[in-house]
Amino acid sequence: MSIENINGCIGCGTCVATCPTDVIRLNKQTKKAEIKYPADCQICHLCRMYCPVDAITISPEKSIPVIVSWG
Amino acid sequence: MENKLKTYNRIAAVVAFIGLPIFLWTLSDVPSRTFLKDAISLLTLIAFSCMLMQFYLARSNNKLLKVHRMGSVMKWHKAIGYVFVTVLLFHPLLIVVPRYFEAGIEREEAFVRMITTFDNPGIVLGLIAWCLMLILGLTSMLRKQLPITYKTWRIFHGILSIAFIVCASWHVIMLGRHIDMAMTLFMLTAATIGIFLLLRNYFLPTPKNA
Amino acid sequence: MKRDKKTLSRRQFIGAAAGVAGALMVGPTVLNGWSENMKKLNEADVAYEDLEADVLVIGGGMAGLFAAVKANDAGAKVMIVSKGRLGASGQTPFAKGIFIYDPQKEKVSLDEFVNSVSASAIGTNNAVYTRQMAEHSLARVAELREWGFFDSPLYNNAFSKPIGQRNIPLIERVTITHLIKEKGKIAGAAGFSVDYQKLYFFKAKSVILCTGAGGFKPNGFPICDLTHDGTIMAYDIGAMVTGKEWNDGHAGKAENAAACFDGWGTMFERKPGLTGVEIHHDLGVDMNYVAYKTGNPVNTRGPGMATANVVGGPYRPAEFQRNGPPEREPGPGLAKRAPSGGRGDRRPPRGGDIPKDGGPPPMMGTSVGGSSAGMAIHKSEGLVPINDQCESNIPGLYAAGDALGSYMAGAIYTQVGSSLAGSAVQGAIAGEAAAGYSSRVEKVEISESQRKIIQKEILAPLKRDAGYSPAWVTQTLQGIMIPNFIIYIKKENLMRAALTYVEELRDHHMPMLRASDMHELRLAHETRNMIISAEMKLKASLMRTESRCSHYRLDYPDMDNENWQAWINIYKGEDGNMQLKKQPFGTWPDGSEL
Ligand SMILES: Cc1cc2nc3c(=O)[nH]c(=O)nc-3n(C[C@H](O)[C@H](O)[C@H](O)COP(=O)(O)OP(=O)(O)OC[C@H]3O[C@@H](n4cnc5c(N)ncnc54)[C@H](O)[C@@H]3O)c2cc1C
Ligand code: HEM
Ligand code: HEM
Ligand code: SF4
Ligand code: SF4
Repeated sequence: MSIENINGCIGCGTCVATCPTDVIRLNKQTKKAEIKYPADCQICHLCRMYCPVDAITISPEKSIPVIVSWG
Repeated sequence: MENKLKTYNRIAAVVAFIGLPIFLWTLSDVPSRTFLKDAISLLTLIAFSCMLMQFYLARSNNKLLKVHRMGSVMKWHKAIGYVFVTVLLFHPLLIVVPRYFEAGIEREEAFVRMITTFDNPGIVLGLIAWCLMLILGLTSMLRKQLPITYKTWRIFHGILSIAFIVCASWHVIMLGRHIDMAMTLFMLTAATIGIFLLLRNYFLPTPKNA
Repeated sequence: MKRDKKTLSRRQFIGAAAGVAGALMVGPTVLNGWSENMKKLNEADVAYEDLEADVLVIGGGMAGLFAAVKANDAGAKVMIVSKGRLGASGQTPFAKGIFIYDPQKEKVSLDEFVNSVSASAIGTNNAVYTRQMAEHSLARVAELREWGFFDSPLYNNAFSKPIGQRNIPLIERVTITHLIKEKGKIAGAAGFSVDYQKLYFFKAKSVILCTGAGGFKPNGFPICDLTHDGTIMAYDIGAMVTGKEWNDGHAGKAENAAACFDGWGTMFERKPGLTGVEIHHDLGVDMNYVAYKTGNPVNTRGPGMATANVVGGPYRPAEFQRNGPPEREPGPGLAKRAPSGGRGDRRPPRGGDIPKDGGPPPMMGTSVGGSSAGMAIHKSEGLVPINDQCESNIPGLYAAGDALGSYMAGAIYTQVGSSLAGSAVQGAIAGEAAAGYSSRVEKVEISESQRKIIQKEILAPLKRDAGYSPAWVTQTLQGIMIPNFIIYIKKENLMRAALTYVEELRDHHMPMLRASDMHELRLAHETRNMIISAEMKLKASLMRTESRCSHYRLDYPDMDNENWQAWINIYKGEDGNMQLKKQPFGTWPDGSEL
């Protein structure tokens, strides 16, 4: 499902700032990024490309039904 | 009999400090990445695991010394020490090296951002561990040049090792990509027993060899 | 329903139409529709901040960058606010080819270029803006080069450079919901933070909307943060907007249709490059027509050749017919499939390798339509400019880039890379114009009464005891609007039907949207904007009783040059209802010739 995993995060917050659809948030306790609103992920990979330690894994599937014009 | 035991010990060491982390690494459900990235990750883990092993390749591990000669244990201790300390000194750089081969933020920028994220204790501990490790390596290399007795050096080396392994383990558990429950348990156990052996060695009279 | 791979748009549409919207809710994630608001807002916890500038730039894309820089350099006190990150939100981060018209190198003159665009656009373009884009493109690209734009696939650093050098205050992750008008002219804007329970009021002599375009949070196009916010808030204070009948016709891959990154191959990982003169008539609704007529898989060798075996459909000027393999703006699903499953573990081209043509011919797999549903051709929709200075009919309100309905390229894609260049050029023009304006006017205060109203409107979804979730309403709207037979291959009865549903959402759901946190509050406001946009789209499409460029009516398949050499402007009438009127091609709103 879209953005899937964050491993090896150092909590720098770059991805949180970068995600255009505000999917990721920083957990104040653990100091790590969390996938907070996965349904809003547009699978654009900006967060992954901006992450300094390449902590983010994204899969091409969407978790909510996808509506298109013709199937 | 002795030879068999020696072989047995060597196998046990390899299994415990190289085999086990590799095994746990394959078990962790972290998504695999490129070969290069996975190889770097694994190398770092093994290197760290060998740091843990150092506590068992020392005088404090008197069970071992019943079988092995101190000289040969020290040979290994030194070799492993120099090799993997070097590897780990490069570990922060190795994390951003794969960025060279892919699009994304530039590796220099990634590196600077990483080592300046001071509000993450995991990074701060990593930085401290890195410095301690550097001192550990340098003071081992330059032992003969240092104006201290061998005895003082050993105590200094031992205490430095403890400080280092505490910071490093903490760092690894906080940040490590592949550090799940099993891996944490393994590291904590290995570190705790290692430190315990050393402290016992310091505070209790050394039991006489048979 | 299978995840993603498949769609049931028709069934979903009928489901919604039959009022059993619950039928939509099968699948792995059941979207929660109506429910109680779990965490109601405590009003006392809301913080407020007031900020001030001469020129407020809203949006941090290509247009916003240049608007801020040029307004600053013209002597104004500037501030940028964006709902996302500078250079990493809106459409700008994904565009990799920027057009330059270099008179030294091009074989065609500037006049010839403009004429050729006008020919392809069949009159729908505003030639003044077409020329302006080409004329200034070289200078803007030179500045971008200096800032390091061409050195990285990621734009945040390059964009931060000129902003940082000039100490222009930058506020990110604040969504603007309201423009504020006092005594007939701009007084500022207001919005909220997604990170904190905090409202912002900006006092400004002029505002430049660089808020980009938008869509219905479609699957396959990275525009889910854009919901025509600028257009709708400007409409709310009486600005004229245009271009709602046109469509961007990007299709996507059937497999994982929502995966924008994967659909575009390695394009998002490339460094930007340059494009030169190459005029087309592309990415309208030809493919949609073929799909409508023959079903899927769409039997085409690419946009522009879609009509090969199908009779009728969108008209294409003879000189822009396709013969060889298509060269076009790259699209999702049209680029070669990268092997990695989207983890980005591959080596992309590092150099300025220009994605001019979007790689190999399309149709490597089955396609699906509506990747960019809800978005028109870049720069055909947005605020109506009253002159060549990106000025709107509200004194002090400017717009640039995708937020301005400049018709720079017309109602069809005519020049690859001109969208990015156009945003840069218009941003700069608007920045200078707004700085000039604000040096001439006095600051107007924001009245207490307006503040109260705006505060209430912003926070309303947070304060409701119960309500519809924005995600659910959005999905219902998508089910109504996105089907090929509604938004693309248009006919009166179905558009009227869809309009009835959209009006229902507007009157009955919009006032009942709930939000339990600031993230959901943003979704609630975005959902509202999408509903109003849908209404505009349907009304403009119903009004335009002809077919031209990217607007296709099955019941009016021909071009009607007698009645329809005109753009459609939309504005809020005295009574608060949506009004539409024509503005003849080749004129400004006051009737004067371009
Ligand atoms: C995948 C893709 C590929 C493309 N390829 C090309 C190409 O190769 N060449 C080309 O020329 N064009 C291309 N385009 C089009 C091009 O990207 C756009 O036309 C251009 O970037 C628009 O720039 P802009 O600054 O006007 O708007 P945007 O870049 O969309 O910026 C809008 C800004 O406004 C902010 N904003 C929006 N609403 C609010 C609000 N309510 N409050 C505060 N801030 C808000 C956003 O956060 C964002 O920062 C492509 C587009 C896409 C999606
Ligand atoms: C860098 C290369 C290293 C060298 C050359 C080195 C060398 C030595 C030597 C010569 C001793 C003394 C053995 C003895 O006489 O008892 C020793 C002891 C020890 N070393 Fe190292 N060492 C190195 C790295 C490390 C590291 C990285 C660790 C821990 C992580 C470590 C932990 C220990 C411990 C715990 C002892 C026992 C101390 C004691 O008995 O007081 N060493 N080392
Ligand atoms: C400058 C200091 C250091 C920095 C900035 C740093 C940074 C990091 C980061 C960001 C990670 C998480 C990324 C990942 O797991 O791939 C990590 C993991 C790790 N670090 Fe460090 N580190 C430092 C020092 C050290 C030291 C001194 C050691 C060991 C002695 C060490 C051992 C490890 C190990 C074993 C991992 C786990 C790798 C994995 O799980 O794949 N680090 N480090
Ligand atoms: S892939 Fe894009 S939308 Fe999804 S979390 Fe990352 S930045 Fe956000
Ligand atoms: S950018 Fe990477 S390291 Fe920084 S917070 Fe996000 S996931 Fe963590």
